[in-house]
Amino acid sequence: MEKEKIQELRQLVKSRLNRPMRYYLDVCTRCGLCYDTCHAYYGIPKKEYSPVNRAEVVRKVYKKYFRPSGFAFPYWGDATKLDERVMDELKEAAFSCTGCRRCMMFCPFGVDMPHILSIAKLLLIGYGNAPEELIMLADSAVEKGKSIDSFKEGYREVIRDLETQVQERLKLPSSEDLIPMEKQNADVLYVGLSGAHSIVHPAVIFNAAKENWTLSYFEAVNFGMFAGDPEKMQFIANRIVKEATSLNVKEVVIVECGTAYRIPKFLLGPLPFKVTSIVEKIYRYIKDGKISIREGAIADALTYHDPCQLGRNGGVYDEPRYVLGALAKDYREMSPTREYNWCCGGGGGLVALDNEDFRVKTGKAKKDQITATGAKIVVSACENCILQLNTIKNGYGLDVEVKSLTELVSENLIV
Amino acid sequence: MSEEIKANVTMDLKGLACPLPVVRVSQQVKKMKIGEILEAETTDPGAHADFPAWAKSTGNEIVKIDKGASSTKFYIKKLK
Repeated sequence: MEKEKIQELRQLVKSRLNRPMRYYLDVCTRCGLCYDTCHAYYGIPKKEYSPVNRAEVVRKVYKKYFRPSGFAFPYWGDATKLDERVMDELKEAAFSCTGCRRCMMFCPFGVDMPHILSIAKLLLIGYGNAPEELIMLADSAVEKGKSIDSFKEGYREVIRDLETQVQERLKLPSSEDLIPMEKQNADVLYVGLSGAHSIVHPAVIFNAAKENWTLSYFEAVNFGMFAGDPEKMQFIANRIVKEATSLNVKEVVIVECGTAYRIPKFLLGPLPFKVTSIVEKIYRYIKDGKISIREGAIADALTYHDPCQLGRNGGVYDEPRYVLGALAKDYREMSPTREYNWCCGGGGGLVALDNEDFRVKTGKAKKDQITATGAKIVVSACENCILQLNTIKNGYGLDVEVKSLTELVSENLIV
Repeated sequence: MSEEIKANVTMDLKGLACPLPVVRVSQQVKKMKIGEILEAETTDPGAHADFPAWAKSTGNEIVKIDKGASSTKFYIKKLK
């Protein structure tokens, strides 16, 4: 690697070296307690898939360029210079981690491995070696933000088609304005995904609750975050912030998508509106009597998979359990659960990559958990997780049905 | 009467979850020759904004959109 490129990449590392990052890089004793906490290592027991070894790839680069011992005595200092081999290792480390932070729950020092791996992702972008699918998706989302006015008409037209589905479901006389768009002073801006299911089911629920709402032109998912590009992440997130601000809404409700929820909720600083997950909104509607669901309508044994970004990293645990506890006659908890729940293996943008075989193998912990419950229905509240749970189901031939929580509520709504 | 467009490759993307329609289209277009046309059929309403945005950011062109009752066909010409 050329000296200039190394210097450029060194500056990228430096840009991430705030106090928490230096703490995480310096404090690890390599005790190895994190090995058995990672779903990837559980499925593929090779040391490169353990959290500590992923972080070590970054740590060795940090030691080489930012610690005197690593600079002067790289062998003693356990330091590695940047070269093509290290870039490959950084890629394998960064994109075999879903950012679930289960390892952090068991680390005696609370080392945030995904935070360390954000350096790896930044280096890959700087070197031009980041996964092209994620870069392409991030670039498309940025372009959509820049040129949204030219795409509005086509999008509105298909949304009008979806309104008839909402009308049929709610048995209403007209489909007009059942999925409002660009509604000034709405109480809620709902941000969905590309798929019709992510719009129709919430629209049924919002209309049943008589919510004063409007649909966003943008998709909630943020591929800038998955790619590890802070500038694109910010731009993609700001599309929604600008839309919400210009419409003067009080609350932004995010579709079932863990990362899409976590970014505005925790990473953008103070915002002039409240940020809520659709799961929290549904819970509130039921508690307040704004919607009614068929209690005990689901006879088959049902279990819930906590999406890591909504549960462990977002704190939303009780709301989905309340809703599912009401719907299901036989709700079964996975073990371990809540903050210790196993990651399904689909997060961090991994479902967008061409890696199905890897994801089946690294989904083994989740497969074992599902099988142990004996449940016939597996519910989750994240599009990534739903996709990955279906990959696990097909990969291991599980006799289960995978459902989204919003879909289940919409189907069991009393109208 | 609109000109009929003959696709070199057709893809059925109906029912695929986010973000797979755009990923599959992008992967397929990479395999094609410049000037060839891909017909991609999808049920995603978001594709009406996502596909044009993808085409613009990658320098390809959507030459025709056929909106049907339950799905839409996008005709994408590879330019790069």
